[in-house]
Amino acid sequence: MGMMDRTRFEALAEAFGGRIDLWPDAEREAAWRFVAEQGETARALLADAASLDEQLQELRPPQPSAALRQAILDAAPRLRAGRSRLWRWLTGAGLGAGLAAACAAGVLAGAVSTGPSADATADALMAASDDGAALGPVESLGSVDTESNS
Amino acid sequence: MKSQGGDPDEELVVRVGRGDPAAIQALMARKLPRMLQLARRMLDDAIEAEDVTQELFLRAWKQAPSWQPGVARFDTWLHRVAVNLCYDRLRRRRETLMAEPPEQADLGPAPDRGLQARDTGRRVEAALAALPDRQREAVVLCHYQELSNIDAAALMSVSVEALESLLSRARRALRAALADMRE
Repeated sequence: MGMMDRTRFEALAEAFGGRIDLWPDAEREAAWRFVAEQGETARALLADAASLDEQLQELRPPQPSAALRQAILDAAPRLRAGRSRLWRWLTGAGLGAGLAAACAAGVLAGAVSTGPSADATADALMAASDDGAALGPVESLGSVDTESNS
Repeated sequence: MKSQGGDPDEELVVRVGRGDPAAIQALMARKLPRMLQLARRMLDDAIEAEDVTQELFLRAWKQAPSWQPGVARFDTWLHRVAVNLCYDRLRRRRETLMAEPPEQADLGPAPDRGLQARDTGRRVEAALAALPDRQREAVVLCHYQELSNIDAAALMSVSVEALESLLSRARRALRAALADMRE
């Protein structure tokens, strides 16, 4: 990395502002060396650039409206099939995933042993699930996320 | 284009693609204020900025299930789509103004534009809005979004030297516009 002269230092401050840590990676080291060597001159240039930075920071970030948040959530992907309400109820009740799977299998076995047909078994399972399709709006699911436990 | 240094959003995006509600909430919390800010600064219009941000998230939700980890950074992709959406709006705005010339010289969306705004924030907003689009984009990406010069230049499809030139001109114009407010 070569030396940085005043012209280059000034140009960088003018373009990127008064914080060297926000300057281009490739030039930061030389810039810090310039500060070490030129002290007051460098600090004056940085302070001048920083005064504009401060003015720009007076612009407060906009706050997203509740309507925007809701519209975005309403359009979000829905939970895929394969994790039914029954599954979430079982795991949410404190059962481990393995035990929940065993219980779900028990439901299946029971349905098979008592039901007359595979269709009836599927119907029983679907009734306990989310129709194997979309869930309701994301916010209605609450804060418990059993999906991530799997 | 391979992502560099890993993508901090990658795991979250994959979970969003599976429809994980917690991931959806987390990704929205992480990105919404930042992307709304970008749209607001680019468009200087609160309603249009919310429209663009909503459209941006619709696209993100659609993209998430087929997101390819390791190919590109999600934040870069999001910025690219957001900037493109903003330019679509700006183009449409110009076309409307050309097709239906305003009766008054200033029909900017901000209600107090052109007036002597009292608060600094409004003055800065007006000064930003008065910049040429590309200069404003450079300031928004580098100053407000804090993208690196390399990322911002790539997003704008310009060289890092051209980006630096845009930033310099923009900051000179902003400095002149806000000179009376400096101590």
